[in-house]
Amino acid sequence: MTMMDTEIAISLRGVKLQQDKFTLGPLHCNIPRGMITAIVGPNGSGKSTLFRTLLGLEQVREGEVDVLGTCLSGQHDEGYKTRIGFLAENPHAHENHFTADEKAHFASLWYPSWDWERYRKLMRHFDVDGSMKLSKLSKGMRRKAELSITMAHDPELLLLDEPSSGLDPFAWKTMLEELTRYMEPGDRTLILSTHIMEEIRRLADYILFIYRGRILGLFEKDRLIDDWRMLVIQQSSTMHSNVELLQQTPGLQGLAESGPGLYRLEVNDPEQGEAYCRSCGFQILAVQRMELEDILSCLIRKEEARR
Amino acid sequence: MWLPIRIDEQRPEPLYHQIEVQLRGLIFGGQLTEGTLLPSIRELAVSLKCSAITVRRVYQDLESEGLIRTRQGTGTFVARVDAIVKDEHRLERAAEELEQAIEAGIQLHCSIEELQTIFHEIMVRRKEETGKEELI
Repeated sequence: MTMMDTEIAISLRGVKLQQDKFTLGPLHCNIPRGMITAIVGPNGSGKSTLFRTLLGLEQVREGEVDVLGTCLSGQHDEGYKTRIGFLAENPHAHENHFTADEKAHFASLWYPSWDWERYRKLMRHFDVDGSMKLSKLSKGMRRKAELSITMAHDPELLLLDEPSSGLDPFAWKTMLEELTRYMEPGDRTLILSTHIMEEIRRLADYILFIYRGRILGLFEKDRLIDDWRMLVIQQSSTMHSNVELLQQTPGLQGLAESGPGLYRLEVNDPEQGEAYCRSCGFQILAVQRMELEDILSCLIRKEEARR
Repeated sequence: MWLPIRIDEQRPEPLYHQIEVQLRGLIFGGQLTEGTLLPSIRELAVSLKCSAITVRRVYQDLESEGLIRTRQGTGTFVARVDAIVKDEHRLERAAEELEQAIEAGIQLHCSIEELQTIFHEIMVRRKEETGKEELI
């Protein structure tokens, strides 16, 4: 996949950083502009650290980070941050005694594109009372207030670290509507980390898959859904055990014996894979699309086997 | 607006193809008339749980076929489609569906003669049920 610079929101080139026991990187990827990219990965795989890196809050040991055309290495203009909206994974304790409106006031001083009208609309749509202290709000209410503040300056780049945590299903639906509306002009970029597969299904164009501090891939979501299949195949009674043959299946990603002479294959080149199994004398019992979580689990298993 | 498009996860055709065929069908079938405003790319993507890349591809394909047109800033609209083209499409679609049915029969090891017999029997039954001569 090639992209022109104007189509890239974030570029990571060999980015590496070190914390006590955790190494993030080296990361290479270009995150496209105008698209929604979901960052997915097990807990502790480096999603939040990646967000902090994009905001220049982490010391980058090696490599280069470009965000909205600003290279974060060495001396750089901090102005790019006013074009970003960031929602952290956890609320900041030092803001507990502020009301949402007070926090919004501080934000309005910092962001030149701040729009009070937009802020009030978001707060109304999320049904939050802006005059309540943040500490007095329930987890979900506070999340909705923080989300409204994060989006009120209509940032070019929206970074949301597990935005839906604590939201009830109705607030979650409102959030999807607001994020869809935010993306409508076509030049906005949304990057969100999430564990909720339904959120990825509804929102994501791309999936950035992170595992143990490394990128397992940046995938176009529909390519994953279209390309990956699970094949259930059976060997005929006259055949010898043929696992070695099956290992050669084109596009093979996972292989398990699920009964005598019965195999389950995960492939990302289904047509070739199917044809190959047939030519080896196997009977195809079923061909199924795979759920996103199964595809991602398969990628993890493959990575574990490689390590 | 909401479009009656359904993605069938079990069908082997790629998502963009499934959406394209159905949207084309809605236009040719007259359910979507000239000038109808279609959902934005993002809206349709969210409602179908597919990516904006896929919907953009569908819109681009249908636009190059002259079935829809995009006006900058206002949205994507259904274009004017000739009655002759619509009719051709109707027969094309029917032929495709029949072809698929025949394919299924061949998979079940039916001979051409057997399939012809089945086809004939079904037509006779339909005729009796509806009482319409012109079906045969």
